[in-house]
Amino acid sequence: MSRWPLRRLALPALLALAACGPGHGGADPRPDRPRVGTAAAATQELTRAIDAGGVRSIDPSISSDLPAGRVLDDLFEGLTRLGQDGEPVPGVASRWDTSADGRTWTFHLREARWSNGAPLRAGDFVYAWRRTVDPRTASDYAQALAPVANAIAVSEGRLPVTALGIDAPDERTVRVRLEAPTPYLLSLMTKSFAFPQYEPAIRAHGDDWVRPQFMVSNGAFVLRELVIGGRIALERNPRYWDAAHVRLQRVVYLPLDRAAQTDRFFAGELAFTDSFSAEQTSWLRSRLGDQVVSAPYLGNFVLGLNATRAPFAGNRALRLAMSMAVDREILVKYVRQGLYEPAWTPTPPLPGYHAPVPAWARLGEAQRHALARRYYAEAGYSAQHPLRVELHYPTDSDNRRTYEAVAAMWRSNLGAEVRTFNEEFRVQLNERHLKLLALFHYAWIGDYPDPYTFLQLFRTGFGYNDGGYSNPRYDALLSAAGQESDAARRLQLLSQAEAVLDEDAACIPLYYYASRHLIKPYVRGWTSNIQDRNLSQYMYLLEHEGG
Amino acid sequence: MARYLAGRLLTAIPTLLVIATLAFMLLHLTPGGPFDSDRILTPQIERSIAARYHLDEPLWQQYFRYLGDLARGDLGPSFQYRNTSVNELIAQGLPVDVTIGALSMLFALLAGGALGLLAATRQGSVLDQLATSVAILGISVPVFVTAPLLILVFAMRLHWLPAGDWVSGSWQHLVLPSVALALPYTAYIARIMRASTCDALSQPFIRTARAKGLSPTAVLWRHALRPALMPVVSFLGPALAGVLTGSIVIEQVFGLPGMGRYFVTGALNRDYTVVTGITVLYGALIIGLNLLADLSYAWLDPRLRRPA
Repeated sequence: MSRWPLRRLALPALLALAACGPGHGGADPRPDRPRVGTAAAATQELTRAIDAGGVRSIDPSISSDLPAGRVLDDLFEGLTRLGQDGEPVPGVASRWDTSADGRTWTFHLREARWSNGAPLRAGDFVYAWRRTVDPRTASDYAQALAPVANAIAVSEGRLPVTALGIDAPDERTVRVRLEAPTPYLLSLMTKSFAFPQYEPAIRAHGDDWVRPQFMVSNGAFVLRELVIGGRIALERNPRYWDAAHVRLQRVVYLPLDRAAQTDRFFAGELAFTDSFSAEQTSWLRSRLGDQVVSAPYLGNFVLGLNATRAPFAGNRALRLAMSMAVDREILVKYVRQGLYEPAWTPTPPLPGYHAPVPAWARLGEAQRHALARRYYAEAGYSAQHPLRVELHYPTDSDNRRTYEAVAAMWRSNLGAEVRTFNEEFRVQLNERHLKLLALFHYAWIGDYPDPYTFLQLFRTGFGYNDGGYSNPRYDALLSAAGQESDAARRLQLLSQAEAVLDEDAACIPLYYYASRHLIKPYVRGWTSNIQDRNLSQYMYLLEHEGG
Repeated sequence: MARYLAGRLLTAIPTLLVIATLAFMLLHLTPGGPFDSDRILTPQIERSIAARYHLDEPLWQQYFRYLGDLARGDLGPSFQYRNTSVNELIAQGLPVDVTIGALSMLFALLAGGALGLLAATRQGSVLDQLATSVAILGISVPVFVTAPLLILVFAMRLHWLPAGDWVSGSWQHLVLPSVALALPYTAYIARIMRASTCDALSQPFIRTARAKGLSPTAVLWRHALRPALMPVVSFLGPALAGVLTGSIVIEQVFGLPGMGRYFVTGALNRDYTVVTGITVLYGALIIGLNLLADLSYAWLDPRLRRPA
């Protein structure tokens, strides 16, 4: 008997078995749509995913990564907290007043307690903020408190920590002095670097205070289990001042990559994913319907242009030509499966802010391409003498598709020869900071919902101005905005500054990010918001079958 | 025997030193540092961080400091996980790897051994061909294909087993990762076992045993099995080292907090101490397990016990 028939059968049999799974198209006998009731579920335990990198530290003074931010949002609460809609609402502070010049804010604290029962005092904020900016803490987030008076000087060791612009006139009052009027201060107060900290725990346990057995927190949940780089389990904090409105008993965070998150969602082990691969959007939508949730997110996907090196230094015509030749709608619709919004200017849409859009963005495709070719020729390039440049981006399959498409557009619309190079994230970051790259991935996620978080990147001398862009007119407008106490006037100045960027073609905005989640239909209480922060304290589960 | 053991252990030290040096130097040569991030640091804070981790010292000084700490069994602080030492990471990750590794080795031995024996005693039959086919499939399909396939079938489709995660005390969570990791080893062991059993069964002493009138089962268990196990045992040393160090893919796919995961994120985040520490540990494991395999020969083969 021949040995072959059996061998030929084995692999197809395995593949056929696999083909029954949701990884393949066709009619499915068990659609992944759980039946959902109307009453609250008896077991209120939510399993959520965070990015695979895992949480590197949950010390509010030190942590600066997004996954840790999600966990910290559940463990602690600042003077304000993030409301369901993404706007700041009263947190530990029940109300606040602002001085006429907008530089002094007085926060009045409600009666709140730490998870060990100790009363929360105004001094706990003073202690925490000083700890964050203290150079000895070696926090990579110290600059986040920059709007607070003397924060930078203290973090640079030029002033003692006591010089920081925060004090506690009494146990229930926190007074904050600012360098300049900061309309987004209430948003900043919701973030981890502004949370209060319990000094006795840190004094007693040093670096170990973040372990479950020692941690004292003041948020809706307390830490129960922490596997380094692994699962993190939280439990409802009965001592939280608003505990009456917290319905989840337990929240588990699992660090997983995007593919594993999707797998676990289908396996019914995750109810709320952190992300999914953009490539899978259409397929996921066809399988899961409205369990696929996507919304505008405070981030831009931008190509940086090096203003200090050839070929872009001093060559506005070339920068404009490159920007004009990219067909954003095609990119967004076909390459990114309609998830994102096309971008012509760095700042994503924000309420109350009028982001300037260059006039050429409104031209029809043919006209825009013709104009791009005119600028390309003006810059000194032609079919005989095409532009040759390298585009560097961090390795990621979603990035690769985007940049290959952009390079193809430049090739067909201008005749430019752009080679794409992918590199490890840290390698690219390093080369960018050294200003070695001419054309590079320069995406940015905003720290707070205000244009300045994006516009600062182009300020002369700013640490992350990796393109080395510098325009005195731009800097002057940003400075004027920084001193302006009238909020509307300030936004106007920022908008004028951004128009200068667009005029100079300082970078090539491609699109604005969108948050991407898979959420089981029985999870309630979340709302999409531009900061993509969903506090577990608002969520609850409905009774359900399957999924 | 004792001298042999002492000699082997002594040669392990320079080997480990070379491994530690290479890992240390290669990592420091890689572009990008552990604290490069897209956050802005003031020079004062950069200095403070550098001083905390001795990154402000010249490289040779860092190297000798590292070797000194290593000699005392201190692998240093992790750079990526603040407030955590590499020793702690290993203490947390190693049990995960050992559990999954031991289970998968057990599975590979039992399943592979049984398949091999079955095939050897029924040479040329359909069963033999089936076993051989399964073995070839197991060897040729990589883990990063089989693991997601197993998840697809048993977790996402049938909902029999969890798709991953590490939950202490739950056997269900161990099944898929252990099986996925075991498959290639099962296949190897089945092939080795079949070949060595066939070989043993053709030896003259087996003919003698049969001539004595022993039943085929008795011949197999009492006489053929022990010599047939020798090649399997010699494979076991590297295989054990392989399952312990090779579970990186499994850990990623199943989201297990093992050393491989720390190793990979450590390499991406330039966590010098974690990567060097785990590399040295992996080196020590491979050396140790190979030594154990050599020692077990002596136990299985009385001829090797005689002093040379």
